[in-house]
Amino acid sequence: MASQMPKVIDPELIHRYDALGPRYTSYPTARHFHKGITETIFRENVAFSNEDPIPSDLSLYIHIPFCRRPCFYCGCTRIVTHHAPRVSSYLDQLHREIALQGDGIGRDRIVRQLHLGGGTPTYLTDTELESLMRAIRKAFTLDEGLDREFGIEVDPRTVDASRLARFLALGFNRVSFGIQDLDHTVQQAINRIQDPEHTLTLVEKAHHLGFASVNVDLLYGLPGQSPERFQTTIQSVLRVQPGRIALYGYAHLPGQFRFQRKIPSAALPDAHARIALFLMAFERFAASGYHPIGLDHFARNGDKLVDAARDGSLQRNFQGYSTHAGLDSVALGLSAISRIGTLYAQNSKDEADYLTSLSAGHLPIRMGYQLNADDVIRADVIERIMCHEEVDEEAVERRHQIQFRDYFASALESLKDLEHDGLVAQTGKRLILSPTGQILRRIVAARFDAYRPQEDGSRHYSRVI
Amino acid sequence: MPPQIGTDSIHLELRQKCSQCSLQELCLPRGLYAQDLEQLDTVVVCEGPHHAGDFLLHTGDRFRSLYAVRSGSYKSYTIDRDGREQIWGFHLQGEIMGLDAIHPEQHLCNVVALDTATACSLPFDQLSAIASRLPGLRSQIFKTLSKSLSEQTIRSRENTAEERLAAFLVDLSTRLRERGFSERDLHLNMPRRDIANYLHLTAETISRSLARFQSEGLILVDHREIHLLDLSKLTKRARCENSAN
Repeated sequence: MASQMPKVIDPELIHRYDALGPRYTSYPTARHFHKGITETIFRENVAFSNEDPIPSDLSLYIHIPFCRRPCFYCGCTRIVTHHAPRVSSYLDQLHREIALQGDGIGRDRIVRQLHLGGGTPTYLTDTELESLMRAIRKAFTLDEGLDREFGIEVDPRTVDASRLARFLALGFNRVSFGIQDLDHTVQQAINRIQDPEHTLTLVEKAHHLGFASVNVDLLYGLPGQSPERFQTTIQSVLRVQPGRIALYGYAHLPGQFRFQRKIPSAALPDAHARIALFLMAFERFAASGYHPIGLDHFARNGDKLVDAARDGSLQRNFQGYSTHAGLDSVALGLSAISRIGTLYAQNSKDEADYLTSLSAGHLPIRMGYQLNADDVIRADVIERIMCHEEVDEEAVERRHQIQFRDYFASALESLKDLEHDGLVAQTGKRLILSPTGQILRRIVAARFDAYRPQEDGSRHYSRVI
Repeated sequence: MPPQIGTDSIHLELRQKCSQCSLQELCLPRGLYAQDLEQLDTVVVCEGPHHAGDFLLHTGDRFRSLYAVRSGSYKSYTIDRDGREQIWGFHLQGEIMGLDAIHPEQHLCNVVALDTATACSLPFDQLSAIASRLPGLRSQIFKTLSKSLSEQTIRSRENTAEERLAAFLVDLSTRLRERGFSERDLHLNMPRRDIANYLHLTAETISRSLARFQSEGLILVDHREIHLLDLSKLTKRARCENSAN
């Protein structure tokens, strides 16, 4: 084994390798999507996948882009509005999209995962959510068993205990709370003021109501965040014992996201401070019995992510990490990205275009990417790196009929500096990531990326830490 | 559908030499001497390439030739009075198509490419003339005919769905092995509904049965790839020890 690899996390190494780079929620990344992928190509791929010997079951993603007010940090596709007709015309076309997609998908393909994301899914009223779920049940075959993973992102400011109970009744068995930071100064700086007491009570309530999984999202690297005050947030969160915690790094890209310009760069923690925030949180979570999962998740014993990380079935996708292997993903709503077999297809990001397309009876697919044979092999290896602490080279060889060391000769050659610094090691037929290497896994993954961006050049990506 | 050849793709009329073909030991010329093979070289013509869905033959086409799959694969099917498709076979490299046309003197089946495929046309009059001089070729034609008669046993309605499906996989595996390919790695380039149609089962039954084989560790399914992990158990499930080959 790689006993020569350092077991302790080395902040200096993290600082040295800290750069900009993709998060590899897909490979190739969405920056490589092009306009050649159309509705016709998407439908052909769906029809083809329906005719596989065992057609893959499904993961369904629904994007609800609406928000009442803009959180300044957010980089998601969203619409800030109070205008009810705007919401209802979106929902009308979303319903049409659900029906159109359902028509194309074989009815014996079962939806194992369902995720409502945003924007703010809980912007919708209970009645609107109910009718949405009814439409989904009509168009697709849903898993109604205990193994299903049906989740909804919750903005605590829009929800009380009785609404949570309604979500449960609608079939959701997972809930994810956006917390970011409970500190009032930070909340002011990001334009997201939410009552800590109410938020934490909701998390506890979700446990009591019987949600199978309760997740909270936290953000580090926010304006005005200090390790001391962020630690207070973390301790409060740990007291209510969420099953999972997602700890994302705030990506300051004011050139791409208008509202981020309201965050003065001077108020942001610098690179060293970001690493300190991350490592402080990392240690707090570890001390409370949470296991680090992949890039940015932490999970308690008993959570399915922990088992999946152990048995090698953890998956990377646009929503983060999940445990169901081999699902095709159908994504609906503004800017949503589907994956069917080797095809990525993305919906229009433009509200008017999205609505017009659907009102004319067309799926609003505008961009995408069809993986070639090399992409498939690299995507597999990059997903392993993003999910696990080692890559079993023989398993990759079996899956793709290649010789790992020959096929990846130049990628492995490019790992030499990381190897020298003890971040990765090649031992036997395994590529192993040290604890520090696991934190820097995006850097390791990028070395296997055939379209590898310069590690310090591209301004389109977020910082690694 | 109009009974004519050549509307779906450009047919390249290429002289094809059996004497230099790597499939000769699988195809009609099996067992012939080199000097005899040259007689076949003078009559064989290559057709295609056909792309997935292109027609090699239409039902009702006048019978002139037998066809041998040179590359890729084809399926043959008929359309019944209600417009329903019935699939009669999937044809791999070196296999002979069009045998059913000899008696009625017209083709009974549509033959379409399942992927990019080419076929060798063997004009029957000339083939018969050569066969009358070459007992080896004549006997090979009879064997091919006889084999095609026994092929339908896989689909016998007396067998259960799982037996039929297992027999189908074992049969494909055997044919691939004969062709020098791996007998354990099948690439199914036909849609699931075609397999279902061929075996007189529903598409859902095909998937359910494959899933059961997979959970029993007999096979591993990855999209269109099927890896046979336990061929001997699968053969037992097929109850086809006698009919295989």
